[in-house]
Amino acid sequence: MAKGVLVDLTKCIGCKGCQTACKQWNDLPATIPDFDNNLTYPADTDAYNYTTVLHRVVEKEDGQETLRFAKRQCMHCQEPTCVTVCFSRALVKSPEGAIVYDEEKCVGCRYCIIACPFQVPKYEWNDALKPVVSKCQFCFDPRGKHDRIGHGMEPACVNACPSRALKFGDRDELLKEARQRISSDSKYVNHIYGEKEAGGTNWLYISDVPFEKLGFRTDVSQTPLPYYVHDYLKWTPTVFLGGGALFAALHFYTKRRNEVARAVEKEEVAE
Amino acid sequence: MAGLAASFGRGAMTNHFNDYINTDVFLVIGSNSAETHPMAMKWINEARNKKGAKLIVVDPRLTKTAAHADIFVRHRPGTDIPFLLGIMNYAIENELYHHEYLVKYTNASYIVKPEFGFKDGLFSGAKLDNGVFTYDKNTWQFEDDGKTIKKDPTLQHPNCVFQLLKKHVSRYDIKTVSEITGVPEKVYRKVCETFAATGARDKSGNIIYAMGITQHTYGTQNVRAIAMLQLLLGNIGKPGGGVNAQRGESNVQGSTDLAMLSHLLPGYLGVPNATKHTNLQDYIEKETPASGYWKNKPKFLVSLLKAFYGDNATKENDFCFDYLPKVDGRDHSHMGFFQDMYDGKVKGLIAWGQNPAVGGPGAAFEREAMKKLDWMVVVDLFETETAAFWHAPNVDPGEVQTECFLLPAAFSFEKEGTVTNSGRWIQYRYKAVNPPGEAKSDTWIADRLFKEIRRLYREQGGAFPEPILAMDWNYDKPGHEEPDIAKIALEINGYRVGENRALDSFGKLKDDGSTACGMWIYTGYWAVDQELGVPNCQRRSTEDSGLGTYLKWAFSWPLNRRILYNRCSADEHGKPWDESRALFRWQDGRWVGHDVPDFNAKVVPEVSAETPFIMLPKGHGRLFANNLVDGPFPEHYEPMESPVTNRLSKQQNTPCAAVFKGQWADLAKVGDAKYPYVATTHRVVEHYQSGAVTRNNPSLVEVCPWMYVSISEELAREKGIRPGDEVWIETARGRIKALAQVSPVVKPLKVNGKKVEVVGLPWHWGYQGIAMGATANDLTPAVGDGNTKIPEYKAFLCNIRKVQGV
Amino acid sequence: MTIGKLNFKMTPARKVLLFMAALTLVLIVYRLVIGLRPFTNLNNDWPWGLWIAVDLSAVALAGGGYSLTLMAHILNIRKFKVVARRAMLVSLLTYIFVLLVLFVEIGRWYNFWRPFVSWGHHSPLFEVFVCISAYTLVQFVEFTEVATEKVATNWHKFLKKIMPVVVIIAAILPFGHQASLGAIYLATIDRMHGLWATTMIPWLFLISSFFVGPAVVTLETLAGGRIFNHKVSIDVLRSLIRVSGWLMIAYLVLKIGDVASRGVLPQAFSGSFEGNMFLLEMVAGVIVPIVICFSPLSNTKGGLAAFGLLTSAGVVLNRVNVVFTSLVDFLGNSYSPSWGEWAISIGALAIIALAYLFIMENFNFAGHDKHQTAS
Repeated sequence: MAKGVLVDLTKCIGCKGCQTACKQWNDLPATIPDFDNNLTYPADTDAYNYTTVLHRVVEKEDGQETLRFAKRQCMHCQEPTCVTVCFSRALVKSPEGAIVYDEEKCVGCRYCIIACPFQVPKYEWNDALKPVVSKCQFCFDPRGKHDRIGHGMEPACVNACPSRALKFGDRDELLKEARQRISSDSKYVNHIYGEKEAGGTNWLYISDVPFEKLGFRTDVSQTPLPYYVHDYLKWTPTVFLGGGALFAALHFYTKRRNEVARAVEKEEVAE
Repeated sequence: MAGLAASFGRGAMTNHFNDYINTDVFLVIGSNSAETHPMAMKWINEARNKKGAKLIVVDPRLTKTAAHADIFVRHRPGTDIPFLLGIMNYAIENELYHHEYLVKYTNASYIVKPEFGFKDGLFSGAKLDNGVFTYDKNTWQFEDDGKTIKKDPTLQHPNCVFQLLKKHVSRYDIKTVSEITGVPEKVYRKVCETFAATGARDKSGNIIYAMGITQHTYGTQNVRAIAMLQLLLGNIGKPGGGVNAQRGESNVQGSTDLAMLSHLLPGYLGVPNATKHTNLQDYIEKETPASGYWKNKPKFLVSLLKAFYGDNATKENDFCFDYLPKVDGRDHSHMGFFQDMYDGKVKGLIAWGQNPAVGGPGAAFEREAMKKLDWMVVVDLFETETAAFWHAPNVDPGEVQTECFLLPAAFSFEKEGTVTNSGRWIQYRYKAVNPPGEAKSDTWIADRLFKEIRRLYREQGGAFPEPILAMDWNYDKPGHEEPDIAKIALEINGYRVGENRALDSFGKLKDDGSTACGMWIYTGYWAVDQELGVPNCQRRSTEDSGLGTYLKWAFSWPLNRRILYNRCSADEHGKPWDESRALFRWQDGRWVGHDVPDFNAKVVPEVSAETPFIMLPKGHGRLFANNLVDGPFPEHYEPMESPVTNRLSKQQNTPCAAVFKGQWADLAKVGDAKYPYVATTHRVVEHYQSGAVTRNNPSLVEVCPWMYVSISEELAREKGIRPGDEVWIETARGRIKALAQVSPVVKPLKVNGKKVEVVGLPWHWGYQGIAMGATANDLTPAVGDGNTKIPEYKAFLCNIRKVQGV
Repeated sequence: MTIGKLNFKMTPARKVLLFMAALTLVLIVYRLVIGLRPFTNLNNDWPWGLWIAVDLSAVALAGGGYSLTLMAHILNIRKFKVVARRAMLVSLLTYIFVLLVLFVEIGRWYNFWRPFVSWGHHSPLFEVFVCISAYTLVQFVEFTEVATEKVATNWHKFLKKIMPVVVIIAAILPFGHQASLGAIYLATIDRMHGLWATTMIPWLFLISSFFVGPAVVTLETLAGGRIFNHKVSIDVLRSLIRVSGWLMIAYLVLKIGDVASRGVLPQAFSGSFEGNMFLLEMVAGVIVPIVICFSPLSNTKGGLAAFGLLTSAGVVLNRVNVVFTSLVDFLGNSYSPSWGEWAISIGALAIIALAYLFIMENFNFAGHDKHQTAS
């Protein structure tokens, strides 16, 4: 059963409790980010921040500007592009739906970074020898010391949220709850972000302002990107086996043909 | 807090955080719950989500709280009184007030002396002696027939409180308020309609405030205005109602209760005055009211003296009353103290968990004052700006003669004990980790410090050693280095002399020396809950006792009452105003309910209805309060620094403001062209107070590393400032540099037809720690409230310009 | 300079190349030790930059290796056999260049072998990685077959015997990775500019790598012929580029059909940066060469050279457009290659150029195919 988190942006008060809880739980070092006019620190997820709370000025329906806050982290796609493109299986999907990174297997090719439709994974550029690709692990770390959901606990960020903006549970249940909240309160926009984006993600967002105003990508492919890749790769065996056989046949056929032709030439010359 | 005590009898939040779920309309004014009390915000949002409660936020800045408001009102800093009085005017004009409540539970019907008056912004009794303004309060008294106060239950008598109030607030019509505050009339009318609707008996309106209300030269009157509005609408004592003061620190309620202030002893007993109170009897006679619960004051004071001096305190020696420190009538509050320090009258300072070098008004001046000290001891987690004042930037350590000591202290999670939250809950916390290095708990430091001082007095004598030598001080825990928290807790709670059991009620305290009690309002917090087997403050039952009262979770002073003045939740016959929020009901000859009664539950409801505010001598909530220095009603005055003249009277500023000398008290002129913008200081969620702890915590620094100033896009354009530019912020007292945050949610206001820019400055930065930045309080003026001396942090004038040649 | 049977003539130009090569090796070590920043200007918006564009272009340009193997050894078209060996050599050296740059490009270079044991078989990059590794190995065998004519000659007979199998593998493998290189960008298809965001991208990459092969071989033959004084008849080269020409027509039709069917053709003429780059890629890199190819110009050395240059540049531009132009709107313009990225890219070419010169001088890659001459 896929686990997920429902983020209700109407409840988020921008306290960044999730962000610091994540940092503490995952033993991530702290940095001093550059000044950001939105006061989002750091301005985006980075090598040492699996999550950051975006602060955005948005215009309400009445034309007045106000503030909204949106926690940003790995969406934990149901059909994760990063997992598909990782050629050393450093990124895998756990049965709980967590997309988990294994530093030991990583080659550092950064394909996952360019492939993620949400631009979430970040690279540890400053580490010379053991740079990692950094992103939210959904507090899943069965072999390490940072595991929570493997132990049946909710992720550290959800646990820390004082405003009940984050809810952890089965994705199906959360989806139902999201629909129910939207239908029972007209303030919500009728869009569950993550229900269909990238083919569905385990993190789901609901909001009272349209997601594009918050800087969310709303043009994410609804067809999971891995499908395109798979659609291509499925031809591989045909190409290699079929092509190999064809080429072998052609090789011997044309060789024989040339030999015959040459023999005929010789005969003709001899004649 | 003084405003609350003057209105209701106790200086504390009337309700509690969980109770917010019972609210219909929140009016959050001068408080940014989302950032400074995120847990409070949780309950606000619960009420909104579960039952569609409305949230009105009134603030000069569009805060994170305002971001979620149903109605957000941007008003000019320092114009809370006209804003609140205007709502009262609206409620009275439209008869939306709670008539029955007013008549029964407030002093609305009291007849005030005919000599009372109000003219040109001043109340009757104004006098000026040697440049010192005071009010003679004789004309502020009520008419009586020698025994009882004259009342008019019809509220029609022209000199009854209600009519006086009606007249007073009638000047605050919507148009006037709009012009003063800068709030568009349409928005203001909406607020009036929405909040005044809670005057209905089945509606609960909740006003939440914090430093945005109190830190003004008329901060106490700001609170008064809130309290009066709530009395008018009948919102006090009700579930979901109340005046809910959200305090500035997690345990500041606890430290106030335990007498952090210069004029109080523990439990809100006044410090004796050296000339006024010559002995115990004298104090008791002069300070004990004839009626109301405070008539028990002698019991509390004598029990306190027994706790202080133990067996040395006897009836014969006035229970060592003479050993108590006395005040001399001079100002020993924060600003007065630093003025004395600057003048060389203060030789030593122990800054214990306080960082005035960043947090004090005119902080730069306070740092100058510190240089005059012979010695300074700082007890803190890190080397704070105060501890480091002698090697601050631009200070030559060689020229500072002060001898400085830094005692490393344990953090709250590194020691055991109780914390009292804004909602008066005393909650016990256990130690999570050991303190690092040589850091020690505050009790350890206090214990050793006292013992060493006592040893020195005992061995070397000195001037008046008796108060030290007579002190009963025995908190040792055999085999342990740390003092015994249980012994301290027992002493605070109170016990019968000779017994070792915590008393369960301050009703059992005596004035004959047979009981000892360190702080009477906490009595019962250490008594053992028979069912759960732990002291009350250690209880952790999550079972709701109804309406979110959770009576078995921790302990709420006084006597575990969750909602103060809760007699007012029902009418005089004991019928709840609102059946869906029935906190108490008189049924079959007794009270049934969900809270601990804050009234005499042994008498019939009609009797207890006579004195629902038990701490006040007359037992009625005070719409008209004659015990404050600056007036029985709040009145609008401009902040000491203001871009405009007072729209309502010739009296520009409150005549009773506390004003100090020196550069830290220099003020800009009214409408000063050199300082055209209104500035206000504020906090951010990422940092705590002066940042002494949070700016030393890497992961908190990371989420908010830079000192900044928020300005509007319009101002930025005018001044050629781009986001992230370094700018100077200049006031009459000094200037600081900060990075410019150019925010579309910062907007200029229209005040009296004039455009007024408002800029916001967080005040968490200083020159120590990982994240350093300019100190906003270098700019704030040393002026304060006449009643409490709280400094004016929230409204002053400044100029902003780009730092050139970067 | 002579070692045993092997010679290397020293000229001033070669000394410069040697110096560049040595410097590059030092730079490479430096980069591997200090990490990707600040050596490169890569960042989280642009995790891939110049080196990836260089690699994608280089692999395509090396297409001559397999296209000629296919034509000369699988289809046994006799007249192409004369250039098959040198095509194979250029291809091999280019792949070594690619592997070198890739090694520098990956952040955890000591982990480069992981995919061999931890198979991310669902990734196009896995196919690329495995195929390129295998193909380089296969080409190396092909190379040794030629080299053993001169050194370690006792191996020659054995190698010759396995050649039929080797050439079949050598012909088929690049079909996998040339297409897969395009498939890499299937993962970013929803962020790319419409002119390049197509599921056809693997096949477009494959075809273009096939037709650019002869173009490069033509260029190399013309240039190499000058340096080493070999002669290859214009007729052979013209036939060779005609193969490209027909494929380019197919490519053009496919590409325009694809763009048109997705309704983004008007964007090519919108005057935007992306539109202009697309037009440049198509007109200068495809249409003009087709015209040259089927015009009398193809009978001249100049015409052949122009075809070779334009076609090669067109394919490079296509790869650059995929890597940069198609994503610049989405990712922003926070990246431009650092001097270090340029230096290693160019320096690695110097290493390869040296190897090329050395091999051409010592082994018989320019002359006639032994199969042919022997028979």
